[in-house]
This record gives sequence, C-alpha cells and structure tokens, in this order.
Amino acid sequence: MTVTLEVANLSKSFGGVHAVVDASVSFQPGKVNAIIGPNGSGKTTFFNCVTGMIRADAGTVTLAGHDVTRASPDRIARLGLGRSFQVCRIFPRMTVLENLLVAVKNPSLTGALGSAKNPTAIAAARVWLRRVGIDHLEHAEARNLSYGQQKLLELAGVLMGDPEIIMLDEPAGGVNPALIGRISALIRELNAEGRTFVVVEHNMELVMSLSDHVVVFDRGRPIAEGDPAHVQADPRVLEAYLGV
Amino acid sequence: MRNASETLELERALTGARWLTAARVIALLALAAVLVVFPQTTKVGYLLSTGVVILNYAVTATGWNFMGGFTGYISLGHAAYFGLGAYGTGILVVKAGISPFLALALAALIVAVIAVPIGIAALRVRGASFVIVTIAFVLILLLMFQSMGSITGGSGGLSLPRPFPDLIRTDHHRTFYYIYLGLLAVMLLAWWAIDRSRFGMGLKAVREDEDKARSLGVPTTGAKLVAFILSAFFTGLGGGLYALWFGDLDPVFQFSIMMGAYMVLMALLGGVRSLFGPLLGALVVGMAIEFFKAQYGDTQFHLVATGLLLAVVVLFMPEGVIPAVKGLFARFGPQASSIREISAADLAAERDAEEASKP
Repeated sequence: MTVTLEVANLSKSFGGVHAVVDASVSFQPGKVNAIIGPNGSGKTTFFNCVTGMIRADAGTVTLAGHDVTRASPDRIARLGLGRSFQVCRIFPRMTVLENLLVAVKNPSLTGALGSAKNPTAIAAARVWLRRVGIDHLEHAEARNLSYGQQKLLELAGVLMGDPEIIMLDEPAGGVNPALIGRISALIRELNAEGRTFVVVEHNMELVMSLSDHVVVFDRGRPIAEGDPAHVQADPRVLEAYLGV
Repeated sequence: MRNASETLELERALTGARWLTAARVIALLALAAVLVVFPQTTKVGYLLSTGVVILNYAVTATGWNFMGGFTGYISLGHAAYFGLGAYGTGILVVKAGISPFLALALAALIVAVIAVPIGIAALRVRGASFVIVTIAFVLILLLMFQSMGSITGGSGGLSLPRPFPDLIRTDHHRTFYYIYLGLLAVMLLAWWAIDRSRFGMGLKAVREDEDKARSLGVPTTGAKLVAFILSAFFTGLGGGLYALWFGDLDPVFQFSIMMGAYMVLMALLGGVRSLFGPLLGALVVGMAIEFFKAQYGDTQFHLVATGLLLAVVVLFMPEGVIPAVKGLFARFGPQASSIREISAADLAAERDAEEASKP
C-alpha cells in the first residue's frame, strides 16, 4: 500500500491562540508514525485539521495525491484515512454490531438503499470484532460496555472502513496496562499488513516501543523528527519536555 | 464454549423474542383493523371529521419523524411545509385551474424543491440554532402569505372547491379518511424501508454522534438533506390533502408554530425511534385535543392539557410510550443476557470443573 499523507505549512489559530503554526510533516507510509509533545502543543488541533474536523487557516494536506485541505471529514474517510478520538466516541444507543455497520467503505446508491444488516457487511463486521476481541458482545448496546471495551469497539469501527492510514488520538489514554498491551499488539499486526499509523500518545514507553518515526510538537510546530532513539536524544525535545 | 446455563439463557431469550414479535404483530393487526373499520361504524359527521383530523396529525407527525426521528434534528417549524403544501395545492386549484389531485402532487413536489435551499441553509447549524432557523422560516412564510393577498387570499383566507362535489358531507369525510390512511401507509412503508437501509443507518449515526459518523465516512451533509427533503415532501402532501379536505385556508392556522409543536409532541410521545411512535402519539394527543375542545369549547384549555401531557412524557417516558411499554414487557419477560465481566467466583468454578475433569 502506498497511500501517502503529507502536510505542508499548516496553520490554525483560535482567536489569539496560535494552535498550529506553519507545520510541515510528511508521514512515512507503511510505518507507525507517532506525534508527541507537551500538553497544549497543538497535536490534537493538527490531527483535527488533517482529518477535516477543523478547517485549517493556511497550508495544504495531501492524501493519496488528493488535496484534502478543504475536504469534509467523510470524504477524507472515504479516501482511506480512519481516525479515533481523544475521548473515545462510539454510537452509545446502537449495538456493537450496528456500530460497525455504520462504517462501510464507498457506498453506492443501490448499496445505500440496501439492507444495512446484509450478510456480507455482518460477516466483515464479525471479523473485526473477533480481531479486537469483543465478538461475544455483538448484540450488546454499546453504552453498556466498559471504557476499555468501548476503546476496542471504536478501533473496530475505524477498521471496518478498511482505511489504509489510521490516525489514533491517544489510544492508550484511560485504559489499563493489559489492554494497552493488546492495543499495541493490534497496531503492530495491522501495520505488518501494510497499514500506516499516525498515533498521538502521551505514554512514552508505548511510543518508543511501537513507533518507527516520531514527530515532536512544541508550541504548534514540529521541532524534531526521526526514529525514537534519535528523537529522545535531541536537546530541543528535552528542552520542550523538561524545560532544561 | 457455551455452557449449559448459557444455552438455557439463550433459548429463553429467543422464546421471549418470539413471543414479543407475535405480540407486536397482533397489536399491529388490531390497530390496522380498527383504523380501517372505524369509518364504517359511524354515520356521525363529527366523528368522521375527527377521524380525518387525527389521521392528519398522524401523517404530519410521521412526516416530521423522517427528519426528527432519524437524525435527531428537531424542527419546530415543520408547519412551513404543511402550509406550503396546503397553499400550493389551493393556489394551483383555484388560480391555475389544475385538477385537485394533480395539484396536490405538484404542490408536494414544489415543497420538496423549496426544501432544498432551505435544508442546505438550515442544516449548516445544529441543536438549538437549527430549531430557531426552522421557527424563523415558518414566521417568514406566515408574513409573506398574509401580505400577498392577491395570490394567497391574505388574511381573508383561500377557499377551495370540493374535489368530490357529488358526495354528501359524511361520505366526503369517509373518502378523505381512507385517502389519508393510504398516504399514512405509504409513509410508514417508506420510513420502515429507510430504517433498515444503509442510508438509514447513516442517519441514525448522525442522531447519535454526527462528527463520529463523518469520521467513519458517512456523507452526513447529503444524507441529512435527503431526509429533510423527504420529510418536507410528505408533510407537504399532508398539507395539500388537508386543503382539499377542509377547503378553507388561513395563514394563521397553516403557518402556526403550534402546529409544528404538535408534530414534535406527538412524535416524542409515541417515540421517535419507533416506526409507529408518531402514529401512536397522534392518536393519543389528537384524541385528547379533540376531547378537550369538545368538552371545554373554544378555550385555551386544550393547550394547558397538552402542555401537561408533554411534561409528563418528558419526565416519565423521555423515550416515548413505545419504548416505555417495551421496557415494561422486558421487565416481566426473560432477562436478556448481561454483559458480565468474569468474576473471581466464576473463575474458581471453572478451575474446579477443570480439576474435576482431570483423570
């Protein structure tokens, strides 16, 4: 898979707050890319601009050769970029299975009028539910799941759209260590199948063990990038994190 | 592997589900039979016209639910499409001399076309802002239709000739009762078809979490617009049919906030997530309104009663009557299997079982 994601000179301000300033990042296709940085460094705003949730003030986002800077989030998703949210978001009143059936890639008009619960879609959904390990809950209402199970459900929902690039906003946030292990193993497996990951994460242990390429944000711009070892040793990164 | 108690639980749940389905089918057939037979049981014009009024409520509430129920976007100004359908039909019949039912179809299509730009504008905002935009639209139309007297008849109203001049009054009501019932059946069928489709799944995802739906690739803008147009179209058909039946239009009644509020109340009362929710709500609220009007004459008492009803629903059955009744049934029926984490006791029991099975 060779779907590329490139961001050039992206800027976004909220009133007087410059959340992202002239950020240019080119993510490595087929790898696990991580974005790290102190709180308020603009990671999530950057993430939201790339996925179309927030419209950038300036700059360009290129996904698989398409300029998607001003594209809607659903178009970006259909072009093969799936994302999760910082605070896990699911459809609480739908069942686990229905949560996945919402996300089916490239619906045609006849497909749109066809049954949502068709055997093909259900079979595909079950594959992903089994893979993340919540297939026994398929008929449960999503709001009744534990937070960890909801995290897995969110991930399964993203995967249902068969994205080639997966952006995860704090996949390890608020989950227990055992589940972090499971999520990280899943990321590794899916990456081995050729999917590109972009992960925003505060858990340094996870970032350093999982990622191939790390981008460090500070005050709205990338200040360093490279492999984990290289980034860890970078004095600018130490300064941003520790103020030394 | 499933153990014996889980299998038993599953069997019980399945029996319960079958029982519920059977109960539902019987209730539906009974309701349909009552609705079909009712006009044959009376020759009293008042009762028949009340039947038509209640079906009109059911049609408009169900029409509203194409938008409100699927997407959760609450329109308080749906009277706009009812009024446009009514006046569209009226003007086409009176001013252009088009035959009544052709005029009705044309008017509904015109309403659908008008709903395109309105929908594009209104659906840019969500929540309370959307509600306000819908109210604004109905108020603008009220002023427009009052002031354009030469076309709309202004405050003096617009009178339509009867589409079936040969029918006596009771037969007129009876005929329209069945036309309304036919329209309602078509609308329920359409709602059902959308409910089970991929398109409907996308709309329901919008209701749950619109941003999340977009992030999963649901083309929410287009989907919402289609739902909005469909909703306006069916509400417009209801309005046009009302014009042909009632024969007298006045902007104050056709473009009233109250009417839009009734649609919302009826749909909420029955349950916006249920196919038959708005119909049930219309039966309850419609009968209540007509009862209070008959009992207390031309006072505002029916509004007070309606307000109280809304308060009771919101407080005790926020999901509507249908889900509340379903919940009640479920309480007495077999327990659905719960999502349980395995407890220490379960693990110990499993271990014991394993130990015991060892030679």
